[in-house]
Amino acid sequence: MKTHSTLRSGAAGIAALVAMSMAGIAAAQDVTLEYWVYSDFAQGEALALQQDFIKEFTAAHPGVTVNIVGKGDDDLTAGQVAGAASGNLPDVFMNAQSVGAQLVEVGALDNLYSKWMAMPEAFRAQFDESALAACMPRPEELYCLPYTGFGSLLYRNLTVLEKAGIDASVPPASWADWYAQMQAVKAAGLYAIPDETLVFNSIAEIYATSGSTETWGFDWENRKTRIDPAIMTKVLQKFVDMKDLNTGTSRNDQATKDLFISDQLAFHTVGPWVNPTYAEAAKASGLKYDFVLIPGDEPGKTGGIRSYEMIGVAPGPNAEIAFEFAAFITEKAQMARWAKLLSRYNANAAAMADPDVSALPLIKVSVDAAHGAMDVAAPYFIDSVPSCYNATVIDFASATADGEYTPEEGAKAMIEELNACLAQ
Amino acid sequence: MSLRRHLPHYLMIAPFMILFAVFFLYPILSGFYYSFHDWNGAKPPEFVGLQNYEKILASRDFSRAMGNLLIYIAITVPLGILVALGLALLVDSFTGRWANFFRNAYFMPVVLPAFLAATIWRWIYAPNLGLLNVILGWFGAGSVNFLNDTGTMMYALIAVDVWVSAGFNMVILLAGLKNIPTELYEAARLDGANKWQQIVHVTVPMLAPVLFFVFTYGLISAMQVFDKPWLLTGSSFTSYGGRRNALLFPVMDMMGRAFGGVKFGEAAAYGFLLTLAIIAITAAMFLLRSWRERR
Repeated sequence: MKTHSTLRSGAAGIAALVAMSMAGIAAAQDVTLEYWVYSDFAQGEALALQQDFIKEFTAAHPGVTVNIVGKGDDDLTAGQVAGAASGNLPDVFMNAQSVGAQLVEVGALDNLYSKWMAMPEAFRAQFDESALAACMPRPEELYCLPYTGFGSLLYRNLTVLEKAGIDASVPPASWADWYAQMQAVKAAGLYAIPDETLVFNSIAEIYATSGSTETWGFDWENRKTRIDPAIMTKVLQKFVDMKDLNTGTSRNDQATKDLFISDQLAFHTVGPWVNPTYAEAAKASGLKYDFVLIPGDEPGKTGGIRSYEMIGVAPGPNAEIAFEFAAFITEKAQMARWAKLLSRYNANAAAMADPDVSALPLIKVSVDAAHGAMDVAAPYFIDSVPSCYNATVIDFASATADGEYTPEEGAKAMIEELNACLAQ
Repeated sequence: MSLRRHLPHYLMIAPFMILFAVFFLYPILSGFYYSFHDWNGAKPPEFVGLQNYEKILASRDFSRAMGNLLIYIAITVPLGILVALGLALLVDSFTGRWANFFRNAYFMPVVLPAFLAATIWRWIYAPNLGLLNVILGWFGAGSVNFLNDTGTMMYALIAVDVWVSAGFNMVILLAGLKNIPTELYEAARLDGANKWQQIVHVTVPMLAPVLFFVFTYGLISAMQVFDKPWLLTGSSFTSYGGRRNALLFPVMDMMGRAFGGVKFGEAAAYGFLLTLAIIAITAAMFLLRSWRERR
């Protein structure tokens, strides 16, 4: 079975490379591709691997040079939007799918559909279906290749759980279990969880314990939120319940990580990017921790969100060769190497299924987390989300937790305000 | 004949004029042009008259941003100058290595990258376990969520701003203090003036031009405040201004409209409204000063 799968992916890889090389020969000329990535892709071992990918691609495409440039989140978006307006776009670039609509609106993203369809079926079949579907807002429109991504996880400080008398050998099976553990941690004089109402994504993570992608995000046709009032009421009650158990810091604050590392915080719901910090602390100061799925309301259901970073290609004279490069770096062989090096989940399902990759503990949990998680701001690539949207969700979640509204009132007022925001 | 005679002079100023035209004049004029157009950067600009200006002036975020700005300016500018003046007087009273030490120590926050300063302050302000809350706890006070409680967010920002700007203003005021002739203090002492009276009747009047510069510069900087509230509230183009927009300021709103909402025409109009406000306030200050000098 394994041999068959290996042979099939090997054949797919060869077919993809042949297809790319054929096009590459046709397009052989001196060309420099500007390749913009998130700043953490342009540092240390991640950069070294990206440079290996570039070397391999340029060796197969004489005359092609690739300049990799790392940028922070906002700089990446601002640079791409401004670049589209001034006609000075990078040729290939990363960004989050959630800003895809802005990039389509300013003309920063080439419709890759015809190039995609020209690729061998074996290549096209490699990608996670939901990640790929998110790049296709309408039939025959494909604005990205899914690249890296995450499903949020529940990091547990095992020392804190032990102090609170909790058996950590079994992860909490449901929200009720998890909440009981949070209360036990508080009773032991420690912090249970960060304040989940301070950041949009952490609110979404808790919403996902009760809701799903179908009841979250946007109904663009009617310009309304898809948030379900009954589910939001339930979720706001959870924030009220957690009010006295939390640290008061957000999931993204350095203070939260420091509390976790110093054995004062039991749970941290966040993406896999904090793992290197915690792994380092485990080596340096003996931090005992693990990561499990965020439990949902019922056993078997998981909370948490998933989100993917994409590779986009700018329209223009370099679009063909830029697509080839994008296809090369998102292809299974490269994504498997990426996953093995950094232990990070990505959108290439074939790479994630590679036995050497799927055996990695963080990847194994991340794959399950991503499958059970809720899309953070779907559907993508249709319309820009107004800034009032996320701010409204945060404001009402915090205000309800602070007791300014009952959960029912908070949910009702939040949804009215969100609909007004989207209708603007 | 005249052109030939002055040609070398024109050539000498040409590099400046070319750079000025390309990097200042053209962006200003094109921004002014786009402020009357609906433009997202991709489709051709469509003329909409004053619609962008009307939309901004009618928007709730604009009112909120301007309201926040007024409170911020009213506190941060005078407070920043008072603290800087106090530090300048303190450092001026030291000599030798101590003077150098304190001057450098107080100037340190000025050279600190904004993101680093924000990270440090987010830690200091952290609820329950942040330095400030630990100190408050010693006095029996409960934990305060400085960066998420709408009643404290503005003051938390102002404290960071004063901490950062005091060192810069202090160096300028210190240079002004060094230029005050010592004879004036000797004469004041002979007339029986105590330290406080010397500050009020000698130092402050002699520092007036420097104080005017520091005040004007502080005011213009405060009107363009962006990085500190952006970083303290963990803002991004999709969500900015902190809880209930308590730290939403005009430049943040403008950036959000441009890069979050992809409305470059509106953002350009916003920029011009802000520029007009800055010009009007600065001009009023210069007029007030010259009127006072004439009296």
